[in-house]
Amino acid sequence: MHVQFWGQEFKINVWVGCALGFLMAIVSSMFGFGGGPFMIAIMTLALGMPMYLAVGSSLLVIFFNTVTGSVRHFQFGNFDLVFFLIMFPAGLLGGWIAPQITKRVSPVVAKRVAVVGLGILSLNLLGVF
Amino acid sequence: MKRSRVWLGIGLAGGFLALLHGSATAADPSQEVKAPAAQEAAGPGTAAAPPAVTITVDQSSLDNGGTLQISGTAPAGKPVYIEVTSEQKVRASRFDADLDKDTGKRPYILYMTEDMPAFYKLFMPKEQKEALEKLKNEGSKWSVSKALKDLGADAAYSAPAKAGIDRYQATLLGSVIGSRGELLAKMDAKENRKRSMQLLKAKFRSPGKVFGAEVEVMPDGTFKAAVKIGQGLAPGKYSVVAAVDKSTRSQAAVFENKISFPYVYLGNAGASVNLFYPFFLALAVMIFGVMMGAGGGFILNPLLVTLFPLPHTVVAGTVMPTVLFSQGSGIYNYSKIKFISWKVGVAIGLSTIAGGFLGPKLTELVTLEQYKFIFGWILIGLSALMLWQTMPGYLAKNKKEQAILKEFKKRAEEAAKGATKDTEPRRAA
Repeated sequence: MHVQFWGQEFKINVWVGCALGFLMAIVSSMFGFGGGPFMIAIMTLALGMPMYLAVGSSLLVIFFNTVTGSVRHFQFGNFDLVFFLIMFPAGLLGGWIAPQITKRVSPVVAKRVAVVGLGILSLNLLGVF
Repeated sequence: MKRSRVWLGIGLAGGFLALLHGSATAADPSQEVKAPAAQEAAGPGTAAAPPAVTITVDQSSLDNGGTLQISGTAPAGKPVYIEVTSEQKVRASRFDADLDKDTGKRPYILYMTEDMPAFYKLFMPKEQKEALEKLKNEGSKWSVSKALKDLGADAAYSAPAKAGIDRYQATLLGSVIGSRGELLAKMDAKENRKRSMQLLKAKFRSPGKVFGAEVEVMPDGTFKAAVKIGQGLAPGKYSVVAAVDKSTRSQAAVFENKISFPYVYLGNAGASVNLFYPFFLALAVMIFGVMMGAGGGFILNPLLVTLFPLPHTVVAGTVMPTVLFSQGSGIYNYSKIKFISWKVGVAIGLSTIAGGFLGPKLTELVTLEQYKFIFGWILIGLSALMLWQTMPGYLAKNKKEQAILKEFKKRAEEAAKGATKDTEPRRAA
């Protein structure tokens, strides 16, 4: 699959992406964390996507996973409406502010932000906090 | 270390003062206990009764938590257990997919109640402190029923056992898409009690949340306890009951926990939060999360569970749909500046749905803890590789990255000039 970004053409092996995405979804649904950090690493490292394109596309990938996860939690009665009403405006706002920042920082900085995120998740998995 | 000693000192001093206060104002009841002759004179009707358990609390209302002094009398020489239960109820559920040792099958039964107290804590004699500490260090494998037996509190456990529990026979596949399955017949009281203990653990998770060892029992049978009611718990009436065994329990002493704005009560979580804190926390985390192409749930979940007295199930179940909005909004806003490849995203996204169905099935086959460790290290490796991709050495070799960086600098300069304020997104090809 060929993808254009800012005048550059990237050849992306979608089969590798799908296989890794499949594995990522298994792992993240087993451990109960969103697959976002894994996805961003897959896209930049295994698929060779530029960081800017990877952030948006990664969000799109894990959106599917989040939908099924949300339905499951809702059915099992883990949803608190008031709590949700407090936080979801923050979600909408965060989803608007973040791209404004991302487009103003260089892709190198954006990638380092993701490195920090990956670091946080890995420390969490290792039981540091 | 030093700080905790200071707090201990303050606590002890406070307890002592409260005791002085209590004995000064409630002189009559204490006389009643010490001098049965006076009691007989006061009322012949109460004299013949067996040595029952009495209990009093020093405050009838708390303002978003506080420390409560509990005192009372019990038959001499018996351990005293105090149950503090909120009137406010919440839902608790547990999906039982653990291998049954007798039948070798997995039951796939969903246990659910709407009557779990939003706050429940069983306080036992101070002598159990060591055993309780040991239990706390046991990790996530502890069980309520074993703990009650070990701590001698089996007979005192009462309030959650009364919660009516429904059970559903689910199929694994059904549970993945969120179907509860078929409602089964009601359980008998004994089974209900047993399952209520599992639900108690599912709801409160750690031994420190449901057990305390604060009751000081004197040789003459009087007892006292300083009980801390934390911030951010459920509002409404709480009942305090002392028990020495199954049949010998006190009347309930009642106090009220008051919650006021900006604290709001989360009915399903069974706790109250200052509504501004989760909002700003969620905002900060989600900006960070969406910047790195994730939702932010992986940071928000552990933070919320650590900072607030919220159950992890409700946190996970509420953060997930919240993240849905941050992702949705992120996707929309990234698509406006063309930072998104719909083809790649949808193709891989569909493959993740299949993985999401398989994951829960595999959870039964592996021990989670050891794998967490492995994935932690894998992630550290991946993040190191990504960091390397941002190093000058890597960038110098990668022509496409260079071209994008150059383009970025050009656009940034244009944006700084202010001349091309609006063309920026449109020019992205």
